[in-house]
Amino acid sequence: MTDIKWEKDFHKAVELAGKTHKPIFQDFWFDG
Amino acid sequence: MNTGPYSDEKVQKYIAEEFIPVKSQCLWDKRSELMKQFDIAWTPTLLVHDSTGKEHHRIVGFVPVNDFLAHLKLGKAKMFFNRFRFADAIENFTTVIEQHPDAGAVPEAIFFLGVANYWKSHDPKGLRRAYDTLAARFPQSEWARRAQPYKQIPL
Repeated sequence: MTDIKWEKDFHKAVELAGKTHKPIFQDFWFDG
Repeated sequence: MNTGPYSDEKVQKYIAEEFIPVKSQCLWDKRSELMKQFDIAWTPTLLVHDSTGKEHHRIVGFVPVNDFLAHLKLGKAKMFFNRFRFADAIENFTTVIEQHPDAGAVPEAIFFLGVANYWKSHDPKGLRRAYDTLAARFPQSEWARRAQPYKQIPL
């Protein structure tokens, strides 16, 4: 089992991606 | 908690190693700025962005594990393609085609592999090979129809 460490803040994800040069995977979800 | 495709070990590993993952909750009666920014009108909507936050691939609706992994890899490949990094794009399109031969993303990967090969080598035979592969393996797909003009290119 690998833990996916989800960011909740898109802008923070962009910041992290800029530092790591990794692409971003974004999941827009609805709980209903 | 990991549910749906995220409960699969391969999906978990691929996302954790290859991406910065972000979850954005949607509320239909109070649309967030992100929902407006990315025109989110249904869920799930899954986006692959480059490291500046620019969108390169979009998946709307549920996808099973094999299709899901293929789409993540296709998203990466399209990101490289759109940035004119054709060697990386070719490697990633090829991965989609070889590792997920039955996935729905494969015809698109074949089409763009042909285009990336053309850009890298300036040899139009890559486009013709893409048409031949699509015509043989996915003759009913829209991507086979998009590749039809390349049928005229001599091998």
